[in-house]
Amino acid sequence: MPGIDECLLEAMRLPGARGASVVDWTSGLALGTVGDSPNGDHEATAAEAAELARLAAEHKAFAPEEGADWSGGQPPVEDLIICNKDSYHVLRFVRTTFDSSVFLHLWLGRSDGNLALARIRLGEMAERLVVG
Amino acid sequence: MTTVEARPLPGRDRADDERADGDTADPDRTDHVPADRTTPDRGPANRAEPRPGIPPTLSPMLSRLAQERATGVLTRERGVLYLVEGQVVHAESPATPGLDVLLTTRGALGSDGWWEAVSEAGADRRVGRFLVDSGRLTAGALELCHLGALYDAAFFTLGPSSGPARFRYGVAHWIGPVRPVSVDAVERETLRRRDLLHRIWPEPGTDTEPLVRTGRAVDATLPPRQRTVLDQVDGERTASDISLVLGRPGFHTLVDLRRLAAAGIVTTRSPTIASGPIPTGSVESGSIASGLAECGPDGARTPEAPATPLSPVSTVVAQAAEAAQASADPDVALLRRLRDALEAL
Repeated sequence: MPGIDECLLEAMRLPGARGASVVDWTSGLALGTVGDSPNGDHEATAAEAAELARLAAEHKAFAPEEGADWSGGQPPVEDLIICNKDSYHVLRFVRTTFDSSVFLHLWLGRSDGNLALARIRLGEMAERLVVG
Repeated sequence: MTTVEARPLPGRDRADDERADGDTADPDRTDHVPADRTTPDRGPANRAEPRPGIPPTLSPMLSRLAQERATGVLTRERGVLYLVEGQVVHAESPATPGLDVLLTTRGALGSDGWWEAVSEAGADRRVGRFLVDSGRLTAGALELCHLGALYDAAFFTLGPSSGPARFRYGVAHWIGPVRPVSVDAVERETLRRRDLLHRIWPEPGTDTEPLVRTGRAVDATLPPRQRTVLDQVDGERTASDISLVLGRPGFHTLVDLRRLAAAGIVTTRSPTIASGPIPTGSVESGSIASGLAECGPDGARTPEAPATPLSPVSTVVAQAAEAAQASADPDVALLRRLRDALEAL
């Protein structure tokens, strides 16, 4: 059963992966990081990504049509995708069986990254991280 | 300073077993700050610079222990930090739920499963490893929960303190190794969290005082996690009480309460709202205040609210913290007191 480091290293094996982290979106704490970060500072990146994740999780506009189901204290949003000229960011919320507010953040190069694959794999990793 | 029996590592000089000093957040001691701490080598974005008046080092003693790669437990006024070879491996504070509460409240782990792990692996100080090896938790779940709890308790432990700090060499926590973090990372995160709270709402009252709803209407856009916290605001509970009820890290509750305070939905209980008998001993003959004291219960004589009855959970934690400080063997004593108090609920 993988821990945080194994999970992040697995994420880094995805094509185009530049950096990955596990972040708490309430505090902005980076619980684990690997590889590079966009501004050269994983902690600062985590704090900024956390703010984005929090807004996405909490605003009703991004909840499914049937409403925001926070059963188990987990947000109704599955992931966030950001695209810019040279890279992708995928933020995947991690559903835990204890009270938490955690997501996986993967940063991918756009030229060699595969967004669809990364999104699917990140979802699988998020589940394995806590469920096994 | 109370002298307690420490359990030294083999080969260590007894005279060095315990260290105590006035490890308060004293601005005069900022000369311990390494020169590179203020060097902007990590990029300027969102970096939480200590505000004026806040010393950039939280605990000079902790910095020294990190430098000498010490192993043991640092006890401060509001919690404890366990170090192994200068790295923080565990932290606990009465202000925030422990790992057991976090894991059992929502059913990630059954209470039986937790206590079985403690009894099976506690003596070997491998409870964390046991939880994973026995299939109760994934390594990832344990690390996420434990690391969150560590930074959370460290935030409170490294809060402003008026009492002395104490370090006992060689003491290890029964949870065992999970995911050590550097002292530097813990201190940096603690300062960043202070800054985050301050930016949300600069009044710190909701962090510690009994809370009340202001009566302002709450609209449907209130985020569910804040609503969950709001539902626990009953005029008596404090932030740490709410964290214990919800099984949620204490800092998360502080963040939501500051947001609720900023929105004008929650405030601290005003001293004048509190009712209760006035301690007769506080009326001093001949004092200027004695005239005011006869004006009524909301007079100037009682600037602080009468003591709030503690909820059972906060009492449990207070007792546990007391036990940890008073006993020669904090680990076993803490476990016993916690178990007894939980059973008595």
